[in-house]
Amino acid sequence: MDRGLYRRRILRNRFHMTMAVATAVFGLTWLVLILAMLLIKGIAGLNLAVFTEMTPPPGSSGGLLNAIVGSLILTTLGVLIGTPIAILAGTYMAEYGRHSKLTDVVRFINDILLSAPSIVIGLFVYGIMVRPMGYFSGIAGSVALAILVVPVVVRTTEDMLLLVPSQMREAAAALGAPRWHVIRYVSYRAAKTGIITGILLAIARISGETAPLLFTALNNQFWSTSLLAPMPSLPVVIFQFALSPYEDWQRLAWTGALLITIAVLTLSIVARLLSSKRTV
Amino acid sequence: MANFAVHASADSLSNAKPKMDIKDLSFFYGDNKALKDITLPLFEKRVTALIGPSGCGKSTLLRILNRIYELYPGQRAEGTVMLDGENILDPKLDANYLRSKVGMVFQKPTPFPMTIYDNIAFGVKLYQKPSRAEMDAIVESSLVRTALWGEVKDRLHTSALGLSGGQQQRLCIARTVAVKPEVVLFDEPTSALDPISTAKIEELIDELKRDFTIVIVTHNMQQAARVADLTAFMYLGDLIEAGPTTTMFSTPKDNRTLDYITGRFG
Amino acid sequence: MASHIVTAFENELRDINRKVAEMGGLAEKAVVDSTDALIKRDTILAQRVIAGDTRLDQLQREIEEDAITLIAKRQPLAVDLREVVSAIRICNDLERVGDLAKNTAKRVLALKGEYQAPTLLRGVEHMSEIVLEQLKEVLDAFGARDSVRAMAVWKRDGAVDDLYTSLFRELLTYMMEDPRQITMCTHLLFAAKNVERIGDHATNIAETVHYLVVGEQLVDERPKSDTTSMTSVSYPQAKG
Repeated sequence: MDRGLYRRRILRNRFHMTMAVATAVFGLTWLVLILAMLLIKGIAGLNLAVFTEMTPPPGSSGGLLNAIVGSLILTTLGVLIGTPIAILAGTYMAEYGRHSKLTDVVRFINDILLSAPSIVIGLFVYGIMVRPMGYFSGIAGSVALAILVVPVVVRTTEDMLLLVPSQMREAAAALGAPRWHVIRYVSYRAAKTGIITGILLAIARISGETAPLLFTALNNQFWSTSLLAPMPSLPVVIFQFALSPYEDWQRLAWTGALLITIAVLTLSIVARLLSSKRTV
Repeated sequence: MANFAVHASADSLSNAKPKMDIKDLSFFYGDNKALKDITLPLFEKRVTALIGPSGCGKSTLLRILNRIYELYPGQRAEGTVMLDGENILDPKLDANYLRSKVGMVFQKPTPFPMTIYDNIAFGVKLYQKPSRAEMDAIVESSLVRTALWGEVKDRLHTSALGLSGGQQQRLCIARTVAVKPEVVLFDEPTSALDPISTAKIEELIDELKRDFTIVIVTHNMQQAARVADLTAFMYLGDLIEAGPTTTMFSTPKDNRTLDYITGRFG
Repeated sequence: MASHIVTAFENELRDINRKVAEMGGLAEKAVVDSTDALIKRDTILAQRVIAGDTRLDQLQREIEEDAITLIAKRQPLAVDLREVVSAIRICNDLERVGDLAKNTAKRVLALKGEYQAPTLLRGVEHMSEIVLEQLKEVLDAFGARDSVRAMAVWKRDGAVDDLYTSLFRELLTYMMEDPRQITMCTHLLFAAKNVERIGDHATNIAETVHYLVVGEQLVDERPKSDTTSMTSVSYPQAKG
């Protein structure tokens, strides 16, 4: 080969490599800075009281217990409502209605829902639940979060089921298994880790959402586990405390942000580990 | 050699009666006619090989025999395929019932994502509710039949996905025979396997024909020559020629068959 | 017939066929030369026939090796497989033909200085001509893949056998009449037997051509009329 050409190629390769690394480093820098800031500021306020005491009035000390518990309840309920609907919808799209028009329509709408701003969903639930009921409530917050869960899980369920080789379904059907049996015992099993990954990602997404909760679950300074009353949650507390002029509130906001970040990071890592272990 | 052919064919066909009888069978993918008036008997406890170039319709024909094509929309079969006095194409005949009598092994090994044991139990449980001990016995005998027992008996409760390709394919065969079908369809069962695994599967087919009527689609002509008693050559949706394998591979009547088996195809 | 998709396969088959054709030519020439050498008592020609046999042996080995390699590499089927099997069979027959010609040539050397009676040679010469014609015809039939011509050769072998039987009888009679001719006649008898066996190989080749073209073995028994094993000539009775 022409030596000059070869040399030019090496140089061009080096140039592009350098550019790519530089841009990656540029992007990562901000992430590292954010995480570092969060760690420094968050750890400063981290103590046992955060997990044992209620959110305090301005000027006094306290913790985030009611917000943490509220977040757990809202998220769990949101996932419990959203996931079954989403898995069934995804199953229809991938298994029964693979060649139907309805599936195309549902997929299109689902994609819009997937990218809809979450505040719009908060307003929607405000309109259909909070206004008619007359008060903010935990259940309304859960429904808002569930609506956020659905598109993510529908998408991953459909994608994961589509990845199951059709030969596997044929093989099960060739043994004389009825359709529901094939889906239940073969398709789901093969797509299991993928679907679970999708659910984990959906949890990660909703656990940090503030906007849909502002209009639905609102907030609560006190301990409350009633689904029919306003319910506190970490993101909303952070939102409120961070904007406040009180230093101890701001410190608690940092700590809460750190907790959410750790939770989301953990879920993402677990999801990543699961999906890399996928066997089928 | 020709004497041998005459004897072999006489031996393979004497006192054989058709298990399945395909008559004037046509098949459509939408408006595209993929099979044209196929008439072919499949003899009981004999191996029939379907050969032909890609797209000739041999796999399509196979997929009609257990109506697996019905999983997909827009596909339609016309004509009759008789099995034990019933036309299997009759919509009133339950497809799952048909598939309990006509099993199928696919090109790629398709173990289910579960344990080796459960892979076999899966099909069995569709038809009977055996006790744990009975199920153990069924699993063992199916694996023994497919010469897999020795290799997997210590890891029955591990994932079937951990087996090698050849073992997976034998597991799929074990899973199919565990249901006790009468006909077993093989769709290019060794095309994804190495020569040793291929030899084991061929040995197995030879063994299985004592109890089952076997139809095998293969791209490998030597394989058809080795395992089949009868061979049918298909081309562009037509059945060109069918007969005793030895005749088909020594003195076929149709020039297209000759061109195909000797590697002269345009 | 269309050619193979794999060009190398086509070339290998053609190569084998070319070598069989070369053997056929050499074998014919060996038969002609050995008979000539016998008739003319030409020892130099006889030496050439003997030396020429090496080439036939070598070609036979080459064809067998090529055929085995081809079977291993290409797994030929139907007509291709018969081509290869036929080549192996025919090259064996031709190699034997070469050996028989060589045997006759050796006898020419042995007969050097023996008493010579041209009348005795005519029968062998005549028989040799007929057998040579058979050999030529069957090799042509092979070249043309013509089973009808090959079968015609096959049927005519009976005539060669008849000729041999009468020649056998004739030579026995000569020996009884004139003991000085016994050495000569014995050698001629063997030469005639060689020619007769060359005829047998020609019929073998004819059977192979039939198998090659039709795809079935010939099941009928070949017309055999070599009855020399049951022939005896009674000693002339002394008149008294």
